[in-house]
This record gives sequence, structure tokens and C-alpha cells, in this order.
Amino acid sequence: MHTLERALAIAQELAEGWTFKTETSRPEPNRLDIALASPADLVPFVVGLRVQRLGYLAAITGLDLGPEKGELELLYHFCPGPAVITLRVRLPREGAQVDSLTAIIPSAEASERELAEMFGVRIEGLRAPEHLYLPDDWPDRTYPLRKDFESVGQA
Amino acid sequence: MVTREPLETFSVPIGPQHPALKEPGHFLISVDGEIVTDAVVRLGYAHRGIEKAAEGRNWVQNLYLVERICGICSHIHAMAYSLAVERLAGVEVPPRAQTIRVLVAELERIHSHLLWLGVAAHEAGFDTLFMYSWRDRETIMDALEGFTGNRVNYSANLLGGVKCDVGAEQRTAILKALDYLEPRTHHYMDVVTSDAMYLQRTRGIGVMTRSQAELMGAVGPTARASGVPRDVRVEAPYAAYGSYPLSMVLDNRGDLEARFVVRLNELFECYRLVREILDTLPPGELQAKMPRRVPEGETISRVEAPRGELFYFIKSNGTDKPERLKVRTPTVFNLMSVVKLVIGHQLADVPMILAGIDPCFSCNDRAILVQPSRGSASLWTWEQLRRHGIEVYHGRRP
Repeated sequence: MHTLERALAIAQELAEGWTFKTETSRPEPNRLDIALASPADLVPFVVGLRVQRLGYLAAITGLDLGPEKGELELLYHFCPGPAVITLRVRLPREGAQVDSLTAIIPSAEASERELAEMFGVRIEGLRAPEHLYLPDDWPDRTYPLRKDFESVGQA
Repeated sequence: MVTREPLETFSVPIGPQHPALKEPGHFLISVDGEIVTDAVVRLGYAHRGIEKAAEGRNWVQNLYLVERICGICSHIHAMAYSLAVERLAGVEVPPRAQTIRVLVAELERIHSHLLWLGVAAHEAGFDTLFMYSWRDRETIMDALEGFTGNRVNYSANLLGGVKCDVGAEQRTAILKALDYLEPRTHHYMDVVTSDAMYLQRTRGIGVMTRSQAELMGAVGPTARASGVPRDVRVEAPYAAYGSYPLSMVLDNRGDLEARFVVRLNELFECYRLVREILDTLPPGELQAKMPRRVPEGETISRVEAPRGELFYFIKSNGTDKPERLKVRTPTVFNLMSVVKLVIGHQLADVPMILAGIDPCFSCNDRAILVQPSRGSASLWTWEQLRRHGIEVYHGRRP
């Protein structure tokens, strides 16, 4: 197991050496945020983290930046030991799509399915894309954790 | 040459009512004879809309909301949330308050592990062990009630500190409970590692290797029973765990028996830690002043719940309400990993293997405010509800 500083240094180095532009920040002493330029960078970057034994995916957080901004942000939190490395990916609200991590990290399945049904992100390559939490008769294109969702039911 | 016709798969639906334990979840198990060939899980039957609801409530109200995510590990949710909000607000919590949080968290772990011991024994058909362990669990429940005033949602946390203190009376009550529980736990350890009938249900059953556990993202005692050194209290000490270090309990066997041994050994570690805290509780204030609004920012809070790592992500937009509250509970990952494990086992072992991770469905199911398509549920009479149920049932399964 890496120490805190070692884990963060490896991830920082990985981000700096990355072919495409990344932006890193240290919001808290134990955290490193890496903003990826494109959702296409996600899978190769996660492979990089896994190779460096930093690949324990603790959670995926979805954020809706609101209809005005028209963007969603996905936060992939990796927690090797005490460090928290967060990969941040921005997607358009309309037609949001990102590749699945399940081929590299099988445990991503539950988080990705939750992301798909709560935020309306299409996860490319997910083997079981059906509902995990929401009812089977949940209306289409209704994503409850988006900011403009209020309730479903009476028309 | 004899060719064998491909067999039709036979599916056994288990749940959503009482799939091994008294909580809702649905498992579709495909079997070939008695052997499980596939398993699919469906959750959400206890989804209550908590992540969404949190966005409409202020910081203080949310403390009480998150405490109700889980009825077994209520304190740890409130603790993870408080630690995160205090960090965002830049509030320094007095050491005595942080230590009392750890004390309640460890007492909660004791009651949770004893609860699990009973449930798991019940699944194995060993109801005597179930009754005894739940009877013994009452001593810790009484101690918690005497200490915090509540049996289940202890409500020990406040933003900025805690609301209950340890006096001579509480100290005596807790120590008395531990003195009773310690020899009992030795007895249970003896039972689950030596009872021949019981070992047939646990030894070598549901084996998860270390690499499987790492790949599937197992956490908590489930991971530690497979030799994965993953315990937030040790890896990234929070609250007062920095001053009260504990040793990580590991087992390399990865089977059901190992999951019993790890949890029971953790109980001894809890007893030791609780006694140490009661002897060396730092003096001082119980609460720091907390602002009503929390500055803009994002923070992550990781704590070790009885079932494993509990993860909170909180984003504040500078108002008195959070912009986003994300909760990742331990059971989600443990359940997903264990569902893959049942393949190849006897169908009769499935309940035991499921119970082996100590699943908590209320933890799993959180996020949505569900209103049925035909009016508000709160307005329905019992008769209407019953009719709706019958219609749904007949509509789907003629």
C-alpha cells in the first residue's frame, strides 16, 4: 500500500505526463482532483491508475451543473489508502455518454447503473443496462437527480 | 457418442420479500438441478429519495435525515456527514466530542456485529445461537440507550460536536455491558469455529479470494475476511481514531467461517477500544459553534461503518442547503461481489452466502421520491392500496 504522499505523487505524475491536457488541483491535503479534457480519456487514464495500484474505485458521483450550463460532471473517486484521487469528466446534458469501466473494474457496475438511471448518462459497454434502483415502470427520459426534476405522476 | 440436449435454464426468483433476511431485495437465481448457474440482483424496493431530499433541506435538517438512512448503523451516517460539513465550514471540533463520536461508533459496531451473528446463525438454521446473540445484544442496546437516550437513532451528533456526555453512571453501565459480553463473545467464537454441524454450512462455503475481493471492490469485514487490508479507521484515521489506534483484523481464508471469525475478533478489538476511551477520555467542551451557512466547496468524508467503508461526497454552494449529497454505502459493493460468488454453489447455500456479507438494504436503496402514477400514495385508503396491489399482480403475472 502506498503512503498518502506517494499515491498523490504518482497520480500527479500520471496527469502531467498525459498526452492530452489535464488540470490538477489539491482541494484538500489528502485529495488530488484531475480534470480530464475529454470523456474519451477516462478509460485509458483509469488503466494507468490501476497499473500503478491506485485503482480502488470507491464511488462515482454525478453532478448536474444545471440546465443553464447544460452540463453534467462525473466524479470518479479512487481511494488508495488515505488518498482520494478524483477524475472529473464533463459531459453535455443532452446525449451524455461515457464508456463503462466495468471491463477494468467490475465493481463499477453498480455505480454506473445508478448514474445512468439517476442522471441520464448513457454508459457505453454496460452489460446489464436495465434499472437497478428505479421501478420498472419508471417513465423514460426522467432522471430524478437532475436539478430540474421535481416529481413524476399526475400529468 | 451421446449428445446432451442443452438444458432449459430454470429460474428461481427469491424476494423481494424476505430474500434470506427481513429486508427487500430481488434475486433471480438460475439453477441447473441444485447448482446455481447465474444470479441477477434487483434493488430499489426501499428507495426513499434521500439524496434528492437532502438538496431541499438545510444543513441541520440533513443531519437527522442521513441518520435515518440506516436503522442499524445510524450513528456512522450522522458522523460521516457531520465530519464533512464541519470540514467545509472550517469548524474545529473539540477532542472530547470527537472521542465520544468514536465511542458511540464502536458501541454501534458491537451491536451491529452481534445482530449480524444472530441473523447469520438463523440463516444456517441455528436458531439457538440467534436467540442467544440477540439476547446478549440487548445489553449493548441498553447501554446505548442509557448513554444517548435512544435505542436506535441515537442522535448523538450535532454539527460541531455531540450532545451527550459520559458521566460516572454511563461509564459504569457501559463497562458492565462489556464485562458481560466479552466472555459471551469468546463462547460464540468457540461455537462457530468448533460446532461440526455449523462448520458444514460455513467452512469452505462462499470462498472469495483476495484478488476477487479486490476486483469486486468488497469492503469492510467481507474484504478483511479475504485478506484485503481495507479499514478506513486504520488507513485514514478520522475523528479521534488518530489518538486511539486499533489493529486491523484480517483472515486469509475468504469463506463464510472467516467472515464469522473476523467479525467476532473485531468485537474484541471494540471492547478493548471502548475501555481505553472510557479510561482516557479527554476533558473539555462538547460542541463548537457552527455557522448557519457553509462556504462554497466540496469535501469527501470516508468512515468505517460496521459493514465497511462509507463514503460521503458533499458539495456546498454557499447557502444553508447542500448543492449535492452523495452517499455510497458499503453493502452496494459487497452485494455485487457476493452475487458473483454464488455461481457454482448449491441453491441452499445462497441465503447463507448473502447473509455472510451482512447486507443492509436500506443502506443500498436511497435516492428517489416515488409518487405512483395514479395519485398520491398518502391519500390512499387501505382498500385502495389492496386493490392496486391485486391489479398490479394480475396485470403482470396472469
